[in-house]
Amino acid sequence: MITEETPSVRIKGVGNGLWVTIAPETPFELIQIELARLFEPFKRKLAHTMRVVLDTGACQDNGDRHRQISNYLKDIFNLNEIVTPKEIESGKEKRLKMKDSRTILSQQHSDTLVIAGRVRSGQSVYTKKHLIIMGDINPGCELTAGGDILVFGSLLGTAAAGQPDNRGAIILALDFRPLQVKIGDIVAAGLPSTGQGVPEFAHIEKGTIVVDDYLAENPFKRIPWPVIR
Amino acid sequence: MQGKIIVISSGKGGVGKTTATASIGAALAMGGKKVAVVDMDIGLRNLDVVMGLENRIVFNIVDVVHGRCKVQQAAIRDRRIENLYLIPASQNDNKDALTPKDMIRISKELRKKFDFILMDCPAGIEQGFENAVAAADEAVVVCTPEVSSIRDADRVIGLLYAKEIPPKLLVNRIVPAMVEKGDMLSHQDVVDVLSIDLVGLVEEDNQVVVSTNSGNPIVMQDNSKAGQAFKRIAMRLNGQPDLPIEVSGVSKSFWKKIRSKIGFGK
Repeated sequence: MITEETPSVRIKGVGNGLWVTIAPETPFELIQIELARLFEPFKRKLAHTMRVVLDTGACQDNGDRHRQISNYLKDIFNLNEIVTPKEIESGKEKRLKMKDSRTILSQQHSDTLVIAGRVRSGQSVYTKKHLIIMGDINPGCELTAGGDILVFGSLLGTAAAGQPDNRGAIILALDFRPLQVKIGDIVAAGLPSTGQGVPEFAHIEKGTIVVDDYLAENPFKRIPWPVIR
Repeated sequence: MQGKIIVISSGKGGVGKTTATASIGAALAMGGKKVAVVDMDIGLRNLDVVMGLENRIVFNIVDVVHGRCKVQQAAIRDRRIENLYLIPASQNDNKDALTPKDMIRISKELRKKFDFILMDCPAGIEQGFENAVAAADEAVVVCTPEVSSIRDADRVIGLLYAKEIPPKLLVNRIVPAMVEKGDMLSHQDVVDVLSIDLVGLVEEDNQVVVSTNSGNPIVMQDNSKAGQAFKRIAMRLNGQPDLPIEVSGVSKSFWKKIRSKIGFGK
């Protein structure tokens, strides 16, 4: 129901585009006048690629009305992309994800166990998710993590990442010389390493564990926005 | 004055704990302190043989713990070195004959009677080890420059830290020629992995075998490198912790030295 306060045409900025809400049962001529008035100030500055969501409300001849106003907008203001709210909702998830990448990612509790110091022979570290160790791992130690294992030091013991069945986990160390590594259910021993001082990481490629130079072959460079792992 | 109890441990067997205990004990006694060396390897005693006192054993540590004799009855005085006493282990029991509680109990008496009490810990990490470290104030971990010894020493260091006993490292049986060639790990490699303070480096010395078989303390031979090294270790434990560590190297010819300085390899 139209009251005096409810304007027949409302425009709201949404993300990269506009959300135009048309009050139902408003005559087309009135809509045209209102649209012209509202869009006038930025007629020239409107980007063609800007997405406009046209919300005509719940009407029985919804489709026609929407098309009518849509065509008018396209003709007069040269807008290419005019969609209904329903189409937006299905693509809503993707938009939200991209929106996340532009704001600060914050998390109140941590899934990662961070320890500092030397892990000695006979000791073992277990964590359900990720493991970060700032220190050295002596031969004879066992590290087990449900997620990734990142060692900021020398890794000389055994490391099992991605337990029990995550083959996407990685094991990274600044000095990568483990006795044995396990990612998910795949085990590898006697891995060659290029030598001191080169950060390397083990990951699964085509069913086997391979060790690569991390800086040269960083697989995460290809992910364009930060994703919580 | 309260005596200090130092346990000499290693994890791995055969690295030189007994030799080190006998030698450091002798060196401390020669320096004027009243020292008791205690053999904690119940059932497999050999500290008495190394010190040449095996024919004078009447009582042992198990007798002391079970009240069959007093501490001064079990302690055998060494006739060559003033102030050095041995409390031997028993030959026919095993490691279950004692408990850590027993050791804590008699340690009170030992501390009253001696300045230094050196416990010769048996190999392993089971009851024998637990008994030996029960009353210890400090520890010396003996390690040879071999991967197996380092692995076991690492475990023992972890266990000592858990008991809040500060460990110090003694790298034993170093062969400088092999280290030079790259066949043997250097003491620096050992220290990098174990990461505790160094109390001394001891070279491989054939004199040790001769001393053991004859029962003469190696610290009394002036021409023995190992003997001199143990003497320095005793000084570091006895109030001179900053005595510099001597790293033995193979004597290089003049030209080799120049080459290695410029960087032309070994």
